[in-house]
Amino acid sequence: MIRTTLYAFGGMLLGLLIHLVVILLLPLLAEDSVVQRIDALAPAVNTVVQIDDPKAGQPNPLRLDPELAYAVCRVDLSKGPGELAGTLPTSFWSVAVYDASGTVIYSTTNRDGIGQSLDLGLFDPAQTRLLAEKKIDVGAGLLIVEANTDDVFVLVRLHPPEEAVRARYEDALRKLQCRTIKI
Amino acid sequence: MRFLLNLLLMLVIALGIGFGLSWYALTDGRFLGAYQSGPWSTWLRAGSPSPDPYTRAYLTRRASLQFGQSEGVQFIASTDSDGRPLAGNCTYRVDGTTPTAAFWTLVPMSPDGVPTAKPGGPIGFYSAALARANDGSIQLFIGKTLSPLNWLETAGDGPFSLVLSLYDTTLFSGLSSSKPTLPSIIRVGCA
Repeated sequence: MIRTTLYAFGGMLLGLLIHLVVILLLPLLAEDSVVQRIDALAPAVNTVVQIDDPKAGQPNPLRLDPELAYAVCRVDLSKGPGELAGTLPTSFWSVAVYDASGTVIYSTTNRDGIGQSLDLGLFDPAQTRLLAEKKIDVGAGLLIVEANTDDVFVLVRLHPPEEAVRARYEDALRKLQCRTIKI
Repeated sequence: MRFLLNLLLMLVIALGIGFGLSWYALTDGRFLGAYQSGPWSTWLRAGSPSPDPYTRAYLTRRASLQFGQSEGVQFIASTDSDGRPLAGNCTYRVDGTTPTAAFWTLVPMSPDGVPTAKPGGPIGFYSAALARANDGSIQLFIGKTLSPLNWLETAGDGPFSLVLSLYDTTLFSGLSSSKPTLPSIIRVGCA
């Protein structure tokens, strides 16, 4: 009986070990990650891609809220710091920066005092150092975000208050400029 | 023979705990990073720059574009307030108040994220376009049967979830001391 209890206890310990391995390895082994889905949507870097709003009965792999309009831009920081800039309507909008693992490393909304102008700069640690040494010239008011991976993407969410203005709002998203800052 | 039986017992317990606990952690996850209020749940560190391993595994499994912490909070309900799974052949009433936010949306989605509203009509509810009671509370009806007040017509009979997205909310930011008050989901009837 004692031996059977010991085996059962050993099974519990082994089970906890299996659990920890599953939880820790899952993000590393996943084949259909959010980053791969974004790569399929926006394969080119420094290009703003407006994502079509999900329709009823249609696939929505990124589980986007159909009430909002979206644009995404991929940036490769190995080619230099990135910038996403433009003017958006006064209605609610937000911007989120995701790293190569799909983790949100920075987010903000236009309710945080930005107003209508979006000017977001993306830098890796070395470029941030150059920025601090004033070796990179950037405009005043640039939102500075430091990323630890070179491959990042930025998602802009924009809320059209009525369906009638959706096309105009999506047009405003397409007009955003995504580029590499020249050093 | 006894050794083999003990070994088999150990393996069954190990696999049951190992994969069972992992499944629980990535679905319910109540004690491992998920916040639950009635039928609604959310992962508190989903939009954090440094999510814990459980949240990271949950996000990987979901593979969706989660909100950043500044953008808002998203709650998901897959059952009604009595714990029964939400089904497309039933009509539900979402009843009560929502936490403070600039605005919110409520969208029924299939387990794959497909919006389950009937094509050609509204795809979800938007907080600024609702009929409300004098105290600001809401009554939303979701189902195939024509209903009063705010009604969203749905299609399909399969399981679905309700996704409540709160934008620009102070919830969980430390600025709000009260617990979130989320609406209840009541099954009105089934076809």
